[in-house]
Amino acid sequence: MSEIEVADFSINAAPEEEPESTGRRAFVKLGLGAVGACYAGMIGYPVYQYLATPAQRAAQTAAVTQTTLEGADKLPAGSAMIFKFGTKPALLIHHQDGTWVSLDAVCTHLGCTVSYEAANNRIFCACHGGVYDAKTGANVSGPPPKPLTAYKVETQEGRVLISRA
Amino acid sequence: MSAIYRWVDERLGLDEILAFAKHKTVPEHRYSFWYYWGGISLFFFLVQVFSGVLLLVYYRPGADAYETVRQITYDIKFGWLIRSAHSWSANLMVLAIFAHMFSVYFMKAYRKPREFGWWSGLALLGLTMVFGFSGYLLPMDDLAYFATKVGLELPAAMPLVGPLITNIVRGGPEVGEVTIQRFFALHVVVLPLLYIPLLGFHLWLVQRHGNALPPSEELKPLAKRRSVPFFPDFFSKDLGMWLIALNALSALAALYPWQLGPAADPLVSAPAGIHPEWYFMSQFQLLKVFGRWFPGATGEFLGIGIFTLGILVWALIPVFDTETRFGKRARIATWIGFAALVGLIGTTIWGYWEI
Amino acid sequence: MNYPFWDVPHIGSVWVIGGIAIFHVLISHFAVGGGLYLPMAEAKALREGRTDWLETLQKHSKFFLVLTGVFGAVSGVGIWFSIGLANPEATSTLIHNFVFGWAIEWVFFFIELTTAAVYYYTWNRIPEKLHLKIGWLYAGSSLLTLVIINGILTFMLTPGGTWLSVAGSGNEASVFWNAFFNPTYWPSLFLRMLVCVSLAGIYALITASRIDGYEFPQLKTSLVRWSAKWLFPSFVLMPLFFLWYLLSVPAASRQLLSLGVSTIGQGVFTQVTRAALVTVMTSATILAVVYNVAWKNARNLSLGWALSVLGLALAATAATEQAREMLRKPYVIGEHMYSNGVRKSEVAKFNAQGYLTNSSWIKVHPPAEATMQPASTGDTSSPTSDKIAIGKLMFRGQCMACHTVDGYRPMNRLLLGRDRTSIMNLLKTLHDYKDDSPYRAYMPPLVGTQPEIESLADYLHLVATSRTSPANSPSLAHAPSQNQERKQ
Repeated sequence: MSEIEVADFSINAAPEEEPESTGRRAFVKLGLGAVGACYAGMIGYPVYQYLATPAQRAAQTAAVTQTTLEGADKLPAGSAMIFKFGTKPALLIHHQDGTWVSLDAVCTHLGCTVSYEAANNRIFCACHGGVYDAKTGANVSGPPPKPLTAYKVETQEGRVLISRA
Repeated sequence: MSAIYRWVDERLGLDEILAFAKHKTVPEHRYSFWYYWGGISLFFFLVQVFSGVLLLVYYRPGADAYETVRQITYDIKFGWLIRSAHSWSANLMVLAIFAHMFSVYFMKAYRKPREFGWWSGLALLGLTMVFGFSGYLLPMDDLAYFATKVGLELPAAMPLVGPLITNIVRGGPEVGEVTIQRFFALHVVVLPLLYIPLLGFHLWLVQRHGNALPPSEELKPLAKRRSVPFFPDFFSKDLGMWLIALNALSALAALYPWQLGPAADPLVSAPAGIHPEWYFMSQFQLLKVFGRWFPGATGEFLGIGIFTLGILVWALIPVFDTETRFGKRARIATWIGFAALVGLIGTTIWGYWEI
Repeated sequence: MNYPFWDVPHIGSVWVIGGIAIFHVLISHFAVGGGLYLPMAEAKALREGRTDWLETLQKHSKFFLVLTGVFGAVSGVGIWFSIGLANPEATSTLIHNFVFGWAIEWVFFFIELTTAAVYYYTWNRIPEKLHLKIGWLYAGSSLLTLVIINGILTFMLTPGGTWLSVAGSGNEASVFWNAFFNPTYWPSLFLRMLVCVSLAGIYALITASRIDGYEFPQLKTSLVRWSAKWLFPSFVLMPLFFLWYLLSVPAASRQLLSLGVSTIGQGVFTQVTRAALVTVMTSATILAVVYNVAWKNARNLSLGWALSVLGLALAATAATEQAREMLRKPYVIGEHMYSNGVRKSEVAKFNAQGYLTNSSWIKVHPPAEATMQPASTGDTSSPTSDKIAIGKLMFRGQCMACHTVDGYRPMNRLLLGRDRTSIMNLLKTLHDYKDDSPYRAYMPPLVGTQPEIESLADYLHLVATSRTSPANSPSLAHAPSQNQERKQ
């Protein structure tokens, strides 16, 4: 291996027409530092979000555990209403047989809001044609990968209490 | 800053390492570009380790396998990106290793005293492909399931021991939960345990012998040969290459996210044109073609036999081509290299053509 | 015969246009930036008496002439061919509005090509001053080609309120200048000029990398470093102009950047955001690599490295083009014509009278009215081949501008596992195009009568079920077209 010319051809010995001034050097250092910080952020941010997801979900879940719907006990049998449970829309269904069911109203496929179809007695998502069971929230057909989350319903005089199961 | 450096330097001898790195040189010539490919392969391996550990945070093998991968892909924030990066970087790593291997071959960098570099490199490539094969099953979607099924035809075709080995690998007559469990153990425990020491050995050899000169450079008189210091010249360019590799990986992972098919269902018929990953396509096609030409066990035996022979010749090339200049054997070796390259690419294209 | 709604299997006509366009952008911007680089470098060399620079510049101008004059011109015409085939309605609108603009463009284009050739062939044959003047003439005319075409390109994203108010009235030409100097004209022009200047530097690095740094260390170092400096303006100004551009884009398009839903249904970022981020990342990398490899190791800059930088520039260009195209969704001409060539103003008419009956480009044989009667068997569960053929024509007219059957944005994967009912529901969502429909952000409405949409559902159902039943899959992609060809 030849090491004869090493010293001659290292960058320090390269002919420099315009020696870098200290000001420019500082500026370049700043620029490279900024680029480096951008890279660290671009890798760090997704990794942090990835690892933090369960904690964030738990915090969200813990934030709202119960909600009261005043006057919802008057909901006629065979119909449904949409209400906000925390930040997300949810369904309250009063079935023909008198049972009450409350389900998350966000489709598990791509997050559209689902609707109750009294005629077919099913829950339907118009975006991609997902179908859920109106009693249990089980995904029956179409693209949804998971059932809708069910909530506990308690009917009282003049109001309905919804809470996480 | 400098105080901290001094504190560490007194205990670990950073200055010595730096002085050593500055003293070390890398040849500079028209084929220098190919020196980067080993480093690129290493970079993708590091990405594999990093993204693989992240996937381990949520992945569970066995019956839950598909569901946990589905969660990673759709539920966990940026899970799709991590998974995508892992899959893309696996493919890019195999590609980079192939580029590295062929550039080493054509620069004749396997010759004395670098034979062990060549052999350890081949072993690393083999392990990488087993990594790829075992990792491909883990999501357990339909493509993974059927690709693994057909992929296991390769070892199954080996004479005598074939069925025995396949049953051990598969853990039963069919690919199932048991298979995922043992592929998982292989993928995250056994293979890394083998890989990392071997990689260390390979890198130590590179450090010991330095970069090889291609024959055309060796012909030049000493005074005409050029080289640059490893540090900071080559090192900074190497980092630049890593940055470009990172860019290529991020662009692919972000713009073409790795897809997740429907869950594997052994009762559903296989999707049309199922085939193993591209780096197994050549072997797969050879086996298929010989099976067609010579029906029965003869074809399988011939296919496997020819392939084994090819690998053997490839591995033993340092023993055959020992010349330092353009001898007859060196020329033959070059032709073998071209034949291997054309054969590999040709059979792969042929395989995709027939899907 | 597939003309003019162009069936390019697997990759789709989008990627034919995309591939040509990315290649063209990479060369045409070099034509403008390099036009500035050559006379500036020549002037500097003459001023400072660097004769060695002049020899290299002569080589560079040959490379420049071949690349821009041949590949740039050919790929430019290629864009014309491909957009005319893939989206005839939009191309027709552009021609009708900008025929005058294109006439000017061609004048400058001829001057540009002529001066480039004259510039190269008159090295050392005419007085230095005159030669330099030809260089400046080239720089001016090539810059003007950008100034003109930029008006037409930005028009497609933001035609502007004045033009939209007269669109379809036949008086569009009266507001030519309003359409030309549309809301995104200026930020886009400045962004493109920065790209031109950067590309001029990158291509110059390729020429400079081929100088032997050991035999001519002075020449190589000075030229590499001077060329590397051409990336500096972008480094400082690009983020500012990019922000300005984003602020000029309509709010609805800007929302796409933060929208949570994307066509592939993965992740929190949409494709357009990801593409924009890739652009930012590759641009930053170009600067870091050029500083590290070209500026600091000027003498050892190799061709491989210079090409790697060009490769990064290609990635940045491709990502930017993709982001810009996605930003325009669901329109091909903002607020006027949807990406599948259906004008916003025609939707009601198509819904009432039928899409196929009104389409200028797709004709049904036998006539649509006859085939769209319910099949005599009355059995809707097994669609007749006629209905499939009509469905395929609907697909060709309204979906194929963006989707393919089995390649890019493939329907067989996107619809995988859905039954006929859920496909029909999806089509209904697209047809109704309600205000809260998540598809509004990036997909045009589906137009046509109920039977036409039913036929499309039949066809798509056939596509969606083909993958899991290999028995009929090999013939699937061709089956409907065979039916159709038999009839013709």
